[in-house]
Amino acid sequence: MESPAVCGFPSPAEQYMESPLDLNTLLVRHAAATYFVRAAGESMTGAGIRPGDILVVDRALEAEDGSIVIAAVNNEFTVKFFRRDKTGVRLESANPKFKPIRFSEGMELRLFGVVTACIHRFGPPPSK
Amino acid sequence: MIGLVDGNNFFVSCERVFDPALEGKPVAVLSNNDGCCISRSNEFKALKIPMGTPLFQLAPLIERYGLLLRSSNYALYGDMSRRIIAVLREFVPEVQQYSIDEAFIFPQFPAGTDWQGFGAKIRETLLKWTGIPCGIGFAPTRTLAKIANHKGKKSPSGVFVMPDDPSACLAELPVGEVWGVGRRLAPKLEKSGIRTALDLARQEPEEIRKRHSVTLARTVMELRGISCIEDRLPEEPSQSITCSRSFGHPVTELGDLEESVASYTAKAAEKLRKEKLTAAGIQVWFQYYPEYDPLPLAGGNSAFSFVFPSPENAPGRMMKLLRPKLKELFLPGRRYKKSGVLFFGLEPGTPGTAGDLFAPPPGRDAGIFEVVDKINARFGRGTLFTLGEGIGKPWQMKRERLSDAFTTDWDQLLQVK
Repeated sequence: MESPAVCGFPSPAEQYMESPLDLNTLLVRHAAATYFVRAAGESMTGAGIRPGDILVVDRALEAEDGSIVIAAVNNEFTVKFFRRDKTGVRLESANPKFKPIRFSEGMELRLFGVVTACIHRFGPPPSK
Repeated sequence: MIGLVDGNNFFVSCERVFDPALEGKPVAVLSNNDGCCISRSNEFKALKIPMGTPLFQLAPLIERYGLLLRSSNYALYGDMSRRIIAVLREFVPEVQQYSIDEAFIFPQFPAGTDWQGFGAKIRETLLKWTGIPCGIGFAPTRTLAKIANHKGKKSPSGVFVMPDDPSACLAELPVGEVWGVGRRLAPKLEKSGIRTALDLARQEPEEIRKRHSVTLARTVMELRGISCIEDRLPEEPSQSITCSRSFGHPVTELGDLEESVASYTAKAAEKLRKEKLTAAGIQVWFQYYPEYDPLPLAGGNSAFSFVFPSPENAPGRMMKLLRPKLKELFLPGRRYKKSGVLFFGLEPGTPGTAGDLFAPPPGRDAGIFEVVDKINARFGRGTLFTLGEGIGKPWQMKRERLSDAFTTDWDQLLQVK
């Protein structure tokens, strides 16, 4: 038999209408909880996040040690590594020029969400 | 069981999600054109500055109390509202949006369900996923769920389940605060000795129907735990106007779907004009059936919210703006079950009043507009516009304290350092 697949089995093409690839399925897990933000500083260049990049943020996820998170620090939003160990919770940047921000007891760390992807464009976005 | 979920100080809460500096401060959101305050944070309420206080009266207090004011950002509120409904649908398939910040849910769970725990789980998820604190009330009818919601909001858990005998709750509620009674009817009822919700619940529905109306008789039934109100448009000055219907048979064509939206829009707009209101924007949603063949696909909902360039009440102009969005939202090959529209940001006026003195006059040559629309679609909005719109767009609303459209415009995303 030269092509066993077509013998006795309907061609998958008859049954399935394939839809084109959708970037949402690649980047967005919880649509209602997903927000896009824009990176504006140099503090995370070591993690591949450059100024102007668009970050995909999922609020439904729990931050774990090592997650990249968006957090409110001094009334501003910042993107940092979330670190948690025996010494407590801290936010670390991926750039040696920036010091870690430690959260001692009584200090509230307000997380906006967990960064799940970074979109870096080469050149301007497609015009409408 | 019926649940009513609503966002606490919804507009202010939306602003706070994207601006940590507003946390713990007296914050208020202003109406269209920066007129008066329409949403207040708890800190703002604590200063005893009432809802509806005009901006010019707030001005001298801004510095004294450190008030933080924002113009109404309906692009943001509409999108956050859409997210809340989407989260609710993760818990309960049957959700009926009642206004931009309220929705009824209809969970079909067996008796003995831990409603308090279920409500707490929904509330916690809403807070985590959207950042919006919500209140939830459960009861056997919509009217009782409304009352339960008010109690929920005041409790630390945010959730209240109406006890089997609601008498104690009803006894402490003035009759004017019952859903559908309102301030006009309350004095009349009070004269005949009906002062609390409990007094009303104890009336004979038939007697009430004769003396007042069938609507009020239904309210009596609802207070007694018998569900009989399906769709109620607010009778007090409306906060939102909605219209939705299930289709007689599954709808598969974009044209038919558009037609349904056009007819609900026309219907709801008629109500707008009757109440001499304009809407800042509209939410449109569709519900579609699951499919089993050739490929199993889950049923679901799609929705978008759209903010008009200036407050609107004319269905023709609205539909012109909506058609391209409907086309984007339409999923070919799916069978649609239901569609609906909801107007939000309602305020007294007609298009062309207040700050919109120079709004484009209605009724223009549609042919010309089609060409203009096509050119603008090809080369970007605003490429061609009529001189009536003005080059500097002086008719645009006054929104001097407007936050960004964080969730609906790539050019206005939240910046993170």
